Amino acid sequence: MVTGEHSNMPVEKNITLERPSNIELTCQFTTSGDLNSVNVTWRKGDELLENNYLINATGSILYTQYMFTIVNSEQMGSYSCFFEEKKEQRGTFNFKVPELHEKKKPLITYVGDSVVLMCKCQGCFPLNWTWYSSNGSVQVPVGVPINNKYVINGKTANETRLKIMQLSEEDQGSYWCQAIFQLGESEEHIEIVVLSYWVPLKAFLGIAAEVVLLVAIILLCEMYTQKKKKHSDDGKEFEQIEQLKSDDSNGIENNAPRHRKNESVGQ
Amino acid sequence: MALRAEPPDGGWGWMVVLSAFFQSALVFGVLRSFGVFFVEFVAAFEEPAARVSWIASIGIAVQQFGSPVGSALSTKFGPRPVVMAGGILAALGMLLAAFATSLTHLYLSIGLLSGSGWALTFTPTLACLSRYFSRRRSLATGLALTGVGLSSFAFAPLFQWLLSQYAWRGALLLVSALSLHLVACGALLRPLSLAEDPVMGGPGAQLANLLHHGPFLRYTVALTLINTGYFIPYVHLVAHLRDLDWDPLPAAFLLSVAAISDPVGRVASGWLGDAVPGPVARLLMLWTTLTGVILALYPVAQAPTALVALTVAYGFTSGALTPVAFSVLPELVGTGKIYCGLGLVQMVESIGGLLGAPLSGYLRDVTGTYTASFVVAGAFLLAGSGVLITLPHFFCFSAPTSKPQDPVTEALDTKVPLPREGLGED
Repeated sequence: MVTGEHSNMPVEKNITLERPSNIELTCQFTTSGDLNSVNVTWRKGDELLENNYLINATGSILYTQYMFTIVNSEQMGSYSCFFEEKKEQRGTFNFKVPELHEKKKPLITYVGDSVVLMCKCQGCFPLNWTWYSSNGSVQVPVGVPINNKYVINGKTANETRLKIMQLSEEDQGSYWCQAIFQLGESEEHIEIVVLSYWVPLKAFLGIAAEVVLLVAIILLCEMYTQKKKKHSDDGKEFEQIEQLKSDDSNGIENNAPRHRKNESVGQ
Repeated sequence: MALRAEPPDGGWGWMVVLSAFFQSALVFGVLRSFGVFFVEFVAAFEEPAARVSWIASIGIAVQQFGSPVGSALSTKFGPRPVVMAGGILAALGMLLAAFATSLTHLYLSIGLLSGSGWALTFTPTLACLSRYFSRRRSLATGLALTGVGLSSFAFAPLFQWLLSQYAWRGALLLVSALSLHLVACGALLRPLSLAEDPVMGGPGAQLANLLHHGPFLRYTVALTLINTGYFIPYVHLVAHLRDLDWDPLPAAFLLSVAAISDPVGRVASGWLGDAVPGPVARLLMLWTTLTGVILALYPVAQAPTALVALTVAYGFTSGALTPVAFSVLPELVGTGKIYCGLGLVQMVESIGGLLGAPLSGYLRDVTGTYTASFVVAGAFLLAGSGVLITLPHFFCFSAPTSKPQDPVTEALDTKVPLPREGLGED
């Protein structure tokens, strides 16, 4: 049973329906003028509805109620109540089957890999699910397990999973999952991009080459500056070592820095 | 190469700072941003979150427990070849992970292989940095460590973008390429021979020597206690805020605020550590005590402004304690044994890090709120700072900076037995 109420302003209400139900729609209209001069009608879309509605007036409020049953998808759609006074006021009830999740980002996959496409319905339980893919405008049903390529299963009633194995570049494109209810269908669009391993591999090799270059530059720079230093220092170093060896009675080279350090700290 | 009497305190040292900066970014920035891959792995392998979390845990554990190996190898071969090898291992791990077909595959490639690579890079680099600087050591360390915080900012969105373009396999390939830059960083680590090196002996002798060194052991205990409490806010702050009815986005934003004040604290503390005379351990104690007090205050703060202020302060003080923590070590054991010392410290303190978060979580489960967790974390930090008071020269006002002298005299005593026992390898 569904009830709706509107007053004064054009208002819309969205109703989600899964199973055949009895419906009761109510509109209320408040005016200061004469209630009898108000023309009340109900329409489905543009089509005028003839029977099954009541009109009631209490004080300055006009009530109208429309009762009917929704059994199949043809009966879904927009139902409106109209109050014609000087201008026309309406209230609209929109009946829809449950919608699936909104847009998803494209799934990136690689050639030879496998991917799982999932569709889920929040708080609703479709009778059945189907999958199909579209290349351009042609829609092709998907899911026949040829060569173990496709597997369809779902863990619970409100979700479905399509597993595609051994991906190739032809599998790239748009896929649709469709939830089938007694009162209609609902779909969701998922896109798959299939890349070859070469795409990230190229970037990897480029960066690796850059690293090798960096290392080469660093090491070559170092060898170059050391060569320069050696040529200019060679003479000086020899002198220093000779001097230390003769200064130090122990002849143990390691004491020499300690000696010098002692002197500087003492100062 | 000529033996130097003292660390150069500049010159090529600044290139080492640059190398260390990029390495902190490439090791810890990658680790911290790995959460972005987490969601992808859960979906791709259809495994529960707890099992996927093990990938990062194994990586961190291998990096920390493997630190002594990195140190020992650096003592023998110098930091450059070790870090370059580590970079190749880390990149190789990520490369193999790109072709993974199961979660176990990821445990082995990212956790074990990349983790080992990271173990061979970070510790030797910081130790090398300590050898290049003495007067400006804390500042240099602080600057280098800012790489961690800044890269966490940059890498998280970068990884997300890589995932949207290449999916997780391609993204891992490119993270591998990124990690290859560790090899270039390693190339920058020019070997430096300091005066006390030849008498220090090989890694085996150094390790044995360190294990008998009283102050070193006390320092290790202090750091372990500190590490147990240190990470708690990063792990549990968001959950604590959600308990206080914060929305997820502002809660995550608060963590970013800490990530901003963190590098500021590191640099400020680094500068302060060099400017103030006296043992650096006192500054470490100051920052540790402050951090401990802040943690203990968390349960008391209810108002949003108080929590924001506390978090900014926490970021600052916890960042501040990192560079001085690394600077205390050369003062204790000398620059000759720094590689082994740092490796051992990292390994032992990681026990604290591993235990801290589960302990805090357990307290939360038992008591129902994070009050006990924060207070206990603060207590660990205060206990650690208490142990620091027992370090030598703590109450002196003269300036014992890194002492090449003492280790030389020590080593002279042991010099004679070394070649005979065959422990000292050159």
